[in-house]
Amino acid sequence: MTNTIVAEKAVRISSLNGIEVFRINSVKFKTSSIHFFFQDNLTRESVTVNSLLPAVMRRGSRDYPTLGDISKQLENLYGASFDCGVTKKGERHIIQFYAEFLSKRYIPDGTDSFKASLDLLYDIITRPAFENGRFKGDYLEQEKDKLKILIESRVNDKMSYSVDRCLEETCKDEPYGIYDYGFVGDLPGISAEALTSHYKKVMETYPMQVYLAGDISDDDTKDVLDRLSGFKRGSILQLGNGFAKKQPDEPRYVTEPMNVTQGKLCIGFRTNTPPDSPDYNALMVYNGVLGGGIHSKLFQNVREKASLAYYSYSRLEKFKGLMVISSGIETQNKDKALEIILKQLEAIKNGEISDHELEATVKSMETGLKSLGDSQPSLVDFYLSQTVSGTNNNLADIGESIKKVTKDQIVRSAQNIKLDTVYFLTSQGVGSESRQEEKKQ
Amino acid sequence: MNFDKIEYDKAGEVMYRYEHSSGLKAFMIPRKGYSKRYAAFATHYGSINNEFVIPGDTAPTAVPDGIAHFLEHKLFEQKDGSVMEKFSALGSNPNAYTSFNQTVYLFSCTDRFNENFDLLLNFVQNPFITQESVEKEKGIIGQEIMMYQDDPGWRAFFNLLGAFYSHFPIRIDIAGTIESISKIDRDTLYKCYNTFYHPSNMVILVVGEEEPQNVFSMIEAALQKKEAVPEIKRIFPDEPGTINKDYTEQALSVSIPIFQMGYRDNRRDKDGIELLMHEVAVKLLLDMIIGRSSELYNQLYSEGLLNSSFDTDFTIEKEYAFSVLGGESPNPVKVKERFCQAVEAAKSKGLDREAYERLLKSTTGRYMRQFNSVERIAHSFISVYFKGVNMFDYLQIYDKITFKYVEEIFKEHFDRANLAMSVVKPV
Repeated sequence: MTNTIVAEKAVRISSLNGIEVFRINSVKFKTSSIHFFFQDNLTRESVTVNSLLPAVMRRGSRDYPTLGDISKQLENLYGASFDCGVTKKGERHIIQFYAEFLSKRYIPDGTDSFKASLDLLYDIITRPAFENGRFKGDYLEQEKDKLKILIESRVNDKMSYSVDRCLEETCKDEPYGIYDYGFVGDLPGISAEALTSHYKKVMETYPMQVYLAGDISDDDTKDVLDRLSGFKRGSILQLGNGFAKKQPDEPRYVTEPMNVTQGKLCIGFRTNTPPDSPDYNALMVYNGVLGGGIHSKLFQNVREKASLAYYSYSRLEKFKGLMVISSGIETQNKDKALEIILKQLEAIKNGEISDHELEATVKSMETGLKSLGDSQPSLVDFYLSQTVSGTNNNLADIGESIKKVTKDQIVRSAQNIKLDTVYFLTSQGVGSESRQEEKKQ
Repeated sequence: MNFDKIEYDKAGEVMYRYEHSSGLKAFMIPRKGYSKRYAAFATHYGSINNEFVIPGDTAPTAVPDGIAHFLEHKLFEQKDGSVMEKFSALGSNPNAYTSFNQTVYLFSCTDRFNENFDLLLNFVQNPFITQESVEKEKGIIGQEIMMYQDDPGWRAFFNLLGAFYSHFPIRIDIAGTIESISKIDRDTLYKCYNTFYHPSNMVILVVGEEEPQNVFSMIEAALQKKEAVPEIKRIFPDEPGTINKDYTEQALSVSIPIFQMGYRDNRRDKDGIELLMHEVAVKLLLDMIIGRSSELYNQLYSEGLLNSSFDTDFTIEKEYAFSVLGGESPNPVKVKERFCQAVEAAKSKGLDREAYERLLKSTTGRYMRQFNSVERIAHSFISVYFKGVNMFDYLQIYDKITFKYVEEIFKEHFDRANLAMSVVKPV
């Protein structure tokens, strides 16, 4: 039984022209993977075009001009996967491309799966299927339609929609309040020329991270570095992460009416603790005690004692300095649930933290940190996050610091937490005639 | 103590197998270099088992819908409080899930495996249910049911099952309804427990870097001695040979129609290996006809009729089988028509052999990739186990399967008379 965390480390093997290359070596997996990230500041102006770009790029490249060609190649590589898209971390907007494939030693026909996957990924990224020097018009128009559908379809998953909307309302007047996939209204204005020049800007000026994970040889690494040395770069964009301290005087109350069976109560807070602060560890433990699992105050009090909800948890947004609490409840129980939830925050503020709550939190966080090393995507995400928070932590250090967090430190974290926005997704306020009962069959 | 070691060289995997005197079988799949350990204790009992003859009885017993899932929630309650808290004191993650035909209790941990495993072995064997706690749970499960009523994918799926089957209980939501769970009481829960939680109806699986000797001796020590019982008679209503209806829809707060369609499959295979072969064949066929590399998918995608949310699947058990093709579309009925046309075209022209070879290759690679994750391994293993096979049997299927067999399944499965569609459309 070991108490230190031995996890796969990311080693930075190169940093040139704003391109950092990391290698995360591990032979325990059956697959390896290659990840490219392009980072931007999250802004109203660039968010939609950033999210449209990978959508059009994944339609085809010079050597694989159609979706079908790309799919066939992935199938030939024993079911490799490729995808791309955008995400936000704090106020950074990150465009991602990745390929994951069976490692060479498991490939029955001897194909060099690393090289073949890199060829495909590199072709998609550096040689899009252009027509007259710009993105193909039909791909562009089709992907605009798809992106519109994607943006609109966020309401379909009520649980994630309500949490996202709560945080957007919390940061209504800050870039963080911008939805990752952008604005439907901005799509018509994006021409093939505009997208093409944006593509060049992304390739030349966005800071880039490349992660090679799994069973990676020195030759594989050299191959990547050789290709990247030919990458044309300009002056590299400066990035922030958007962390902000805020002390709202009064909480805001936002109600969104929708035809739903279950109400979703989401509450946004400011943590006032930056991600690179030594106090951040105490904040993580605070969050664990409050709503980070079955031992937590929210689970025990909202679900187990009051039977008000099936789920009730809290979660941190590390970079921007936010915390959100989410529960699915009967609409008429909103006030009762809100009262019980806020009581839990007060309790921690008053130092009411049992030994069991603290120990279970720390142990469950340790389990989480150790488990992270069992998943390549989680490892890559962990190390990428460090580039956003400007930290250089490893899993073992975090594990050690968490164990040292005291109840006093947690109480101090609690003092900094400020309620910002109470968001409620509810059927109340929706015309009663439009409230449809489930069809009986 | 005796246990077997089975090597699967092709996959680079090993499995250990042990049988307890009660008839319970246990398996262990090592994961070198992984921090996470995962253990599951599962019973061959799920939401569809709502009528049965208790061994020793003559008359059948009918129980309220959703009771298997309700029992899953209540088993965590122990004489000295919730066992969840004991797991969380160890920093591990206990969980459980109920599907149509199994209930699975599990935990994952990174430290103190023995203590965690002991908790699992003990709480599943020692129910402690009070009427008061049953009443309290109705509020929590009620919210779980309501949560799923707002989930368009889940609704589309159950509406599709209701279109496939007129009576077969798979058409009922796993958690039951607010109304059906209101009838659940302590005595009925115990009746179900005593019938289905006999060791001979259960399996234990451990995945992770542990010693098989240790795992199996812990099971030997913890397992209660129970008398052998005759097989449980599971009763299912008579189901007509044809689908209930070919189209169903429901309105929910969604931005775009969300559809699921598929064929009810009436072929009944004789053994587990046949079931797996049948499954692999239908999945290959779905990929050949409307998978990412197919002409049809690429056309529908370009025309805006499908997007990348589209996916296909095939479910098969001894008692039922069906395929599901689902996603978002502005015009689901048109997707269905185009799909049917492509199926008819393939029936007259014949299937594409090259696509078959390529997709078989892709299927084997994707199978191998599951071994990256302890959770995926456990889930795959348990989900096929009660069919009388184990997840490594797929390896022999990939060797044995032929184009000719796939052609035969194509003609059988893709029968328009068995095709149904379910749509969740915007309010």
